Amino acid sequence: MFKAIFYKEWIKTRWYLLLAVATTLGFAGYSMLRISRVVDLKGAEHVWEVMLSRDVIFIDLLEYIPLLVGMLLAVVQFVPEMQRKCLKLTLHLPYSQLRMVGAMLLYGLLVLSFCFAANFFLMALYLHGVIAAELEQHILLTAVPWYLAGITAYLLVSWICLEPTWKRRIINLTMSVLLLRIFFLSVTPEAYNQFLPWLLIYTLLTASLSWLSVSRFKVGKQD
Amino acid sequence: MKIDELKDFMNKGTMENIIECKGLTHYYGKRLIYEDLSFSVPKGRILGLLGKNGTGKTTTINILSGYLKPRAGECFIFGQEIQHMDPALRSNIGLLIEGHVQYQFMTIKEIEKFYASFYPQWKKEAYYELMNKLKVAPGQRISRMSCGQRSQVALGLILAQNPELLVLDDFSLGLDPGYRRLFVDYLRDYALAENKTVFLTSHIIQDMERLIDDCIIMDYGKILIQQPINKLLNEVRKYTLTVPEGYALPSMNDFYHPTLIRNTLEAFSFLPADEVETRLKTMEVPYSVLNSEKVNLEDAFIGLTGKY
Repeated sequence: MFKAIFYKEWIKTRWYLLLAVATTLGFAGYSMLRISRVVDLKGAEHVWEVMLSRDVIFIDLLEYIPLLVGMLLAVVQFVPEMQRKCLKLTLHLPYSQLRMVGAMLLYGLLVLSFCFAANFFLMALYLHGVIAAELEQHILLTAVPWYLAGITAYLLVSWICLEPTWKRRIINLTMSVLLLRIFFLSVTPEAYNQFLPWLLIYTLLTASLSWLSVSRFKVGKQD
Repeated sequence: MKIDELKDFMNKGTMENIIECKGLTHYYGKRLIYEDLSFSVPKGRILGLLGKNGTGKTTTINILSGYLKPRAGECFIFGQEIQHMDPALRSNIGLLIEGHVQYQFMTIKEIEKFYASFYPQWKKEAYYELMNKLKVAPGQRISRMSCGQRSQVALGLILAQNPELLVLDDFSLGLDPGYRRLFVDYLRDYALAENKTVFLTSHIIQDMERLIDDCIIMDYGKILIQQPINKLLNEVRKYTLTVPEGYALPSMNDFYHPTLIRNTLEAFSFLPADEVETRLKTMEVPYSVLNSEKVNLEDAFIGLTGKY
């Protein structure tokens, strides 16, 4: 069944995913080019110096990109389900409704993780040859909360999209903004290092919210 | 309930109720839709739910398909309470959503491939037989099809699923007369040949007359009539009588929605003509000519539920 569910989700999202991977890799690549230009003009030592003394990480351009990518994936994946209540068709299939919703979210998490992993791979590949491992880790660890925010945004926007009433959607949206704010409280590099495992648990917990919306849909809540 | 249990259920007897709803009550906010509604659909029958806008047809379909929890009462399909039904049992319920909704983002070929994975008894040829008649390419996206074509895709998918029960919400919505006729003929032939049970609603009463065995006519808040269509059409009569102009209508039990236009009084009733004549004489109605005529389903529906 997973294969069939993934097949449907793939049809919905394939063009968006291509765009998302290209865009995020484009931004990550551009950030690496910025480092490359500084290295070419002023030498690698200058990069190390500004990173250590002035908290510059060179990838600040990426801060909100994963957030946007995660939000749009949820929209692309779940708005077609809610158009003319297509979700009824999905939930009518002879398969556990909880597992169905879980499989749809799992698909989103897997493709989003693939897209974000490609970003990290590209950055790690370039940085490995230019700066010391500690500084490479410094840059990548600073980016981790931004990418976790992208995954959380995906799960929260899924929750909003699957909600059957507009009134509750607005409430969910407000709560989502507040929940996502947590990922952007500090601009200091590696500020979240001690907090990362909790942030990961926090992200995974938001996955359960979509089932609340589906449960409301199932009992016929409407505006 | 597993599929074997379902087969046992289906083999218990030909008049086994496939759908059974008891004491349904539902409100939207404070507005009562209906109260204490009970009905059942025996195996192998095609039952049409008729009613004016707002009488609760779609509400009933939503309850039956498990997407609305009634304020009170319960519904059973294949003997299982709908809200807690075994997911496997849904493979034996074909659902057509109002407007022939299907996944717009898929093509004819993709949607067949997707659904086929969920149904072990999937009949691919039944779907493609219908698609070949449409003369559309397998790569045609559903969002770019006309409403009529989409209705055939939805019907083809239900035929391929080959369920025991079909629940169809307003199947004629948006269809031109040709596609409506095609849909009705295909469905009627399929249901009779395979002894399927069908529960449906439609705004087009003429289509229902060609298709259904039994009907439930709903009025605001209640069921007005539930009986086989042949019995209804044999028994209900339109009576017209000539009365003096300006005649004030008395209260008439057993007469549905009597209307007076100039000096012609029109009413519908299940009473035979001689009984009507006796009643009119008892009520001292000053009529001169009494006509009785059989009516089609649409006229019967309007006569029994009123024009307003």
